[in-house]
Amino acid sequence: MVEFRSVTKIYPNGTLALSDVNININKGEFVFIVGQSGSGKSTMLKLILKEEDPTSGEVFVNGYNVSALKRKEIPYLRRSLGVVFQDFRLLPNKTVYENVAFAMQVTEALPKEMRRQVPMSLALVGLSKKANMYPGQLSGGEQQRVALARALVNNPSLLIADEPTGNLDPETSWEIMKLLSEINCRGTTVIVATHEKSIVDAMKKRVIAIDKGTIVRDQKKGQYGDEIKNNQIYI
Amino acid sequence: MKLRTTKYIFKEGLINAYRNKLMSLASVSVVTASMIVLGLFLIISINLKYNIQKLEQQPQMQVYCDPELDDEQIKVIEQAIKNDARVKKYTYVSKKEALEKMKEMLGEDQDVLEGLGDDFMPVSFIIELNNLKDAKGVVEAFKLIEGVSNVRYSQERIDILIKIATWVQVGNIVLTIILLAVAMFIISNTIKLTVFARRKEINIMKYIGATDWFIRWPFIVEGVVIGLVGAAIGFLAISIIYALLSSKVSEGINIISLVSLRELQIVVTYTFALVGIVIGSLGSAVSIRKYLHV
Repeated sequence: MVEFRSVTKIYPNGTLALSDVNININKGEFVFIVGQSGSGKSTMLKLILKEEDPTSGEVFVNGYNVSALKRKEIPYLRRSLGVVFQDFRLLPNKTVYENVAFAMQVTEALPKEMRRQVPMSLALVGLSKKANMYPGQLSGGEQQRVALARALVNNPSLLIADEPTGNLDPETSWEIMKLLSEINCRGTTVIVATHEKSIVDAMKKRVIAIDKGTIVRDQKKGQYGDEIKNNQIYI
Repeated sequence: MKLRTTKYIFKEGLINAYRNKLMSLASVSVVTASMIVLGLFLIISINLKYNIQKLEQQPQMQVYCDPELDDEQIKVIEQAIKNDARVKKYTYVSKKEALEKMKEMLGEDQDVLEGLGDDFMPVSFIIELNNLKDAKGVVEAFKLIEGVSNVRYSQERIDILIKIATWVQVGNIVLTIILLAVAMFIISNTIKLTVFARRKEINIMKYIGATDWFIRWPFIVEGVVIGLVGAAIGFLAISIIYALLSSKVSEGINIISLVSLRELQIVVTYTFALVGIVIGSLGSAVSIRKYLHV
């Protein structure tokens, strides 16, 4: 599903973001990527989305050789992925329904399909009743659920969440994580980059810990990490 | 591209132009102003061309005899023309023929000739030269022949008109390029503002897999709409200006003749539509390249 083959990323300003990273995420997995800010988490996600290209090495996503992908083909890679961000990124002047439908509109989907898929996606995140409201009228957790509905409406096989609970209170964070776990149970591969130690520890999923651009730990049913204890000087 | 996508693109383009009212309005006025200047030049050059063509249809050189001459005296003049080696061919135009021609030229207005005798028009000779370079000398020589009232040589006028037309054309091109560049710059600034206002949306579109062209098209539509609206207003203005101008000219003496409003409008429509579309799309293309990092 997602594979990094000795991937190194050095930004033009000289920052070493990833150094010789090898990972393999299989279909149907639920993976946490944890690490401090600047550890290289976001860079990994950016490489998967082809927002950035690796300096060396290869990235494979959903059968696409992302590092060799032509610019013209990027939209089609992204249509096979769903993405959720910390800041939701909803369009404020479109209703909940329109926000979700928009993701289908850009893929030139049939209106008939949109009328079928959008309500289904909204039902999945439990927001059917708020379809005609605007994002500004919703709570943070609800907005993130709209973003999730939008990410899922095209039936992606891989869902990427970049700090999805970063702007939410602990209780709402849990709801979102449970929802992500549910989505995973339906067969979608889920990759979540996060800081939330308590959630990571409680969910007992695969954890890839990254520090200063290298994978320091890759554990099935892992915990947020021991290296935090070792680095107590920062806490 | 699918029909519903085309619909989406046009809707978005129009919404963009509307949301950005003030800048759109500013761009439209600049386009209109440029179009009016372009239109004035078009009026001048179209009419110059028309007058040149008209003159070219007329005989190159025509020698007019004094109306009071009798046949004998005219024969003398004819002999003089015949004997000139520089003349290739000449045609005798009788008083009657001249009158017919005049009537034909006047068309519906021929009743002004009523009450005038058949011998109102002078006898003349249409002359074709072996070499146009001799024209000046021939004109001088024939003017000296006794009984010749006038020698009209239209090539001279044609040459002057062609010279003027050339300069007008050059000025036209230079000024038009400058104005259109300004219009394009303003349009591209307007589009830049739209791109800026919608940068969040563009970013989201990229993440959900919109193709570059899907993102670009609405901005191109916005630019073209501005260009075409400006062109349409310019077209109206030019039509009004020309209608006023031709009514003023027809009141006066017909030294110059103007093409009809309809004829001008055909040329102006095509030119303006083309120019409007080109500056609109180029203007947006400039900002899309510079600011829309799709």
